[in-house]
Amino acid sequence: MKHIPNPVTPSGALPLLILRVLQSGSLHGYAIGQRIHLLSSQVLAVEEGLLYPTLQKMLVKGWVVAEWGISETNRKVRFYRLTAAGRKHLSAELEGYDRVTRAIQEVLRTA
Amino acid sequence: MGELLRRIRYLIQRRRFDAELANDMEFHREMAARAGRNNFGNTLRMQEQAQEAWGWTWLDRFVQDLRYGFRVLVRSPGFTLMSVLVLAIGIGVNVAAFSFFDMVALKPLPVRDPDSLVRLERRSPEAYSSEMQYPSFAFYRDHARTLSAAMAVLGVPPMQFESDVQPASATFVTPNYFTELGTPAAYGRLFDPHTDSDASAAPAVVLSYGFWQRRFAGDPTVVGRVIHLNKKPATIIGITPYALASLAGQHPDIWMPMPQQPYFIDGSNVLTAWNDSSVRMWGRLAPGVTPKVAEQELHTLADELRRQHPEALWDREGIQSAPGGHMQVMQPEMYQVGAMAGVLTLLILAVAGANLGALMLARAVSREHEFGIRISIGAGRARIFRQLCTESLLLASLGSVAGLGLGCAALRTVLSKSDAPKWLSAVPDWRVLLFTTGATLVSALFFGLAPALQIARQRRRKTLARQILVGAQVAASCVLLIVTALLIRATQHALYTDPGFGYDQLLSIDPQLGTHGYKPAAARAYLDQIQARLSALPGVRSVSLVRLPPLGHTVSRERREIDGREVMMYPNWVAPDFFSTMGIPLLMGRSFLPNEKSVIVISESLARRQWPGQSPIGKSMQDGNAKETVVGVAGDAHINAISDDDAVEQYWPAQPDDMPGMVLVARVAGEPGALSPAIKNISESIDPKLFPEIRQLKLLYRDSVTGVELTATAVSFIGVVAALLSAIGIIGLVAFTVTQRTKEIAIRLALGAKPADVLSAVLKQFSLPVLLGLATGTAFAAASSKVLRKALFGVSNLDPASYAFAIAMLAAIILISMLIPARRALKLDLAKTLHYD
Repeated sequence: MKHIPNPVTPSGALPLLILRVLQSGSLHGYAIGQRIHLLSSQVLAVEEGLLYPTLQKMLVKGWVVAEWGISETNRKVRFYRLTAAGRKHLSAELEGYDRVTRAIQEVLRTA
Repeated sequence: MGELLRRIRYLIQRRRFDAELANDMEFHREMAARAGRNNFGNTLRMQEQAQEAWGWTWLDRFVQDLRYGFRVLVRSPGFTLMSVLVLAIGIGVNVAAFSFFDMVALKPLPVRDPDSLVRLERRSPEAYSSEMQYPSFAFYRDHARTLSAAMAVLGVPPMQFESDVQPASATFVTPNYFTELGTPAAYGRLFDPHTDSDASAAPAVVLSYGFWQRRFAGDPTVVGRVIHLNKKPATIIGITPYALASLAGQHPDIWMPMPQQPYFIDGSNVLTAWNDSSVRMWGRLAPGVTPKVAEQELHTLADELRRQHPEALWDREGIQSAPGGHMQVMQPEMYQVGAMAGVLTLLILAVAGANLGALMLARAVSREHEFGIRISIGAGRARIFRQLCTESLLLASLGSVAGLGLGCAALRTVLSKSDAPKWLSAVPDWRVLLFTTGATLVSALFFGLAPALQIARQRRRKTLARQILVGAQVAASCVLLIVTALLIRATQHALYTDPGFGYDQLLSIDPQLGTHGYKPAAARAYLDQIQARLSALPGVRSVSLVRLPPLGHTVSRERREIDGREVMMYPNWVAPDFFSTMGIPLLMGRSFLPNEKSVIVISESLARRQWPGQSPIGKSMQDGNAKETVVGVAGDAHINAISDDDAVEQYWPAQPDDMPGMVLVARVAGEPGALSPAIKNISESIDPKLFPEIRQLKLLYRDSVTGVELTATAVSFIGVVAALLSAIGIIGLVAFTVTQRTKEIAIRLALGAKPADVLSAVLKQFSLPVLLGLATGTAFAAASSKVLRKALFGVSNLDPASYAFAIAMLAAIILISMLIPARRALKLDLAKTLHYD
């Protein structure tokens, strides 16, 4: 991802979405993608080529950690868990996102 | 912070992390396949993208480039070896020069707390003296609160050791000298303020390690033995260590405590006289005090001292401080010479770098094919540029390691051959290493940048870079050769030209009457007696008197302004027969008459400058309140400034009051050294308490010239190396150019062109750079060689013969370098060449 994460575009909002999805529990990579796809009523489809680089960046930043676990298919795979720092970042980002979206909607409505 | 740690952890456990990621992605693909979505992307590319997030891709690429660059270098060993050699010479010379400068001016002395040591000298707006009177020193020491300690050093002429023929060098120091510096004794003990401060204590001396080895073969039982210095008994209390670090590099054979100076030197009043500036002062700043603050306090103290003893200090005298914790106290002129030397060594690096750059350019062109393929596969230009830069850095690093070794080896040889203090070592310290790294980067930039840029841009016209490189080489070599030629001329001039006085047959005899407490009348009597007895000796032609002897320990000079130009004037006080004894011709007028006053004799240069075109006889010069008439003009004789052609002299007749400070000069027939024993006997029979210092001017002159000879040899060597490097570079470049245009040359020859025409067509591109290089080099040398004027022994820094010689030699070398490969081209087998299409 070469551009600066923008909370409004879908790809820029990916870190936010992942953090939110992980809030209710740790998941492996594929499950994260599926979850986002389902919860968005199949509007957003996260490709492998976008998901994993983003996950790595979040690992670098320390928002998530990866732990080994067993998948539903009895395969050893890493599960990603939200950290305290990740939680903090999530709430800050949500607040920002709310503000910006509302502002954009205002302009689109009234301008 | 945490992020950095996580990234470093990744770097260390890379393989595991990457394997885990691959596992994750594979699992993802399995699950996706189950759900029916088979969107396989480029798995490797996606993995790489994911790994990029950790931010270490630049390192990966760098290591890749290094490996590749290494393979490239190994593949062409001839080129690699040659480049490393060229770089080693270029960087090695710079490392040696900088190491030398580092040793002299930057390295702190291995003594206790060298940064707080300062060298203190007398200075007023009009005058300067590096030495002060001992009572002044004592006054400052006792009253200065910004100095936590003060040390004084008094140099004296060599003293007679037991009954040895060879005198031993000696120095007096204050008792706190060794304790302040923290010097440990090799044997016995060194001076101590508690035991050796009393003038009435038992006379004690300390021997230097070298003297102890030479004279006593390292026998430890000498400690406690009684020896005789100038016939005075004293006890040896200890030996200084082998690697002694002394302030300003003094290394006398014998050290003596200052309070006992009157004991060793009979009748001396150095410790109490206010009119004899002879001790050098160092101080240690109190904790937290800056030199400026200390200078201010010392200035206040100087004012107070002047109030108490008005005749002892100059008007508005103060004390100037300089850092004292290094081997040499740097004077401004030294910085100039240092800068000039620095520029010269950098020029060598420039020649080496340009040389290498040309070679790299040639090679880069032959790798065009390789780069073409890489670009067509998809390598970005930036990537190739980066790789070429890495290759240059690799080569430069190899060269600099070799250069570091070479430079340090050369320095070690110089240190062992010369009289350097034993604590100096050629092992590089952090400053030298930092400098070497800098030099490496600069040279990598120099020779790597141009070819890399050209290749990355895939420009067809590479001749411009080639021409610039040739021009730069030629210019740098030109400067070096010109400086070499100047220095060689100067050495020849020094050795074979008359410095204005006949040093070959002269002796100077310094009885140090003043130091031994002689009053003017007694001094006059002694001098008359010894002059008479010396004249009676067979072989002695004439004897005279002078205050500041030729090539003596003390130099005095005054800055004068004549017609708006600054001139260095060297004053002296002489007896009437001085000029005939010294062999200085009297060109106009006469010498002094006995007991004459208010007259002067001036040197020819001074006469020419002060009264151009007129006779100076009868004219007068103002000296303070007195008016003095010129009675004679003597030939130039720079007896105390041998190499400085711009110096002028002025002589006053010696007055009765000057007698205690006069030195005898004697002109002898035959070997001057043979008369030393006879002179010593005569002096002893007149006054056994005196030990005159007898010096042969011939030897002193040779010593002063040796310095220039050494420098000339070193610079000649470097100049020749630079010229050779340029020659090699040009040969390579021309050979390469010819190879490139082989087909064109073959066609021309086949069509019937004359060999000369073909040659000129090929070599035309080099004629302009060569001419420009020569012109720039000459101009630069002319402008900057002014710095050398003081050291050229009268040769002008624009000496046409030197310039012509240097330029002619360089032009010849360049011509030959160009013709050798070009001629080979003309002997081509035309049929075969044209067949190779």
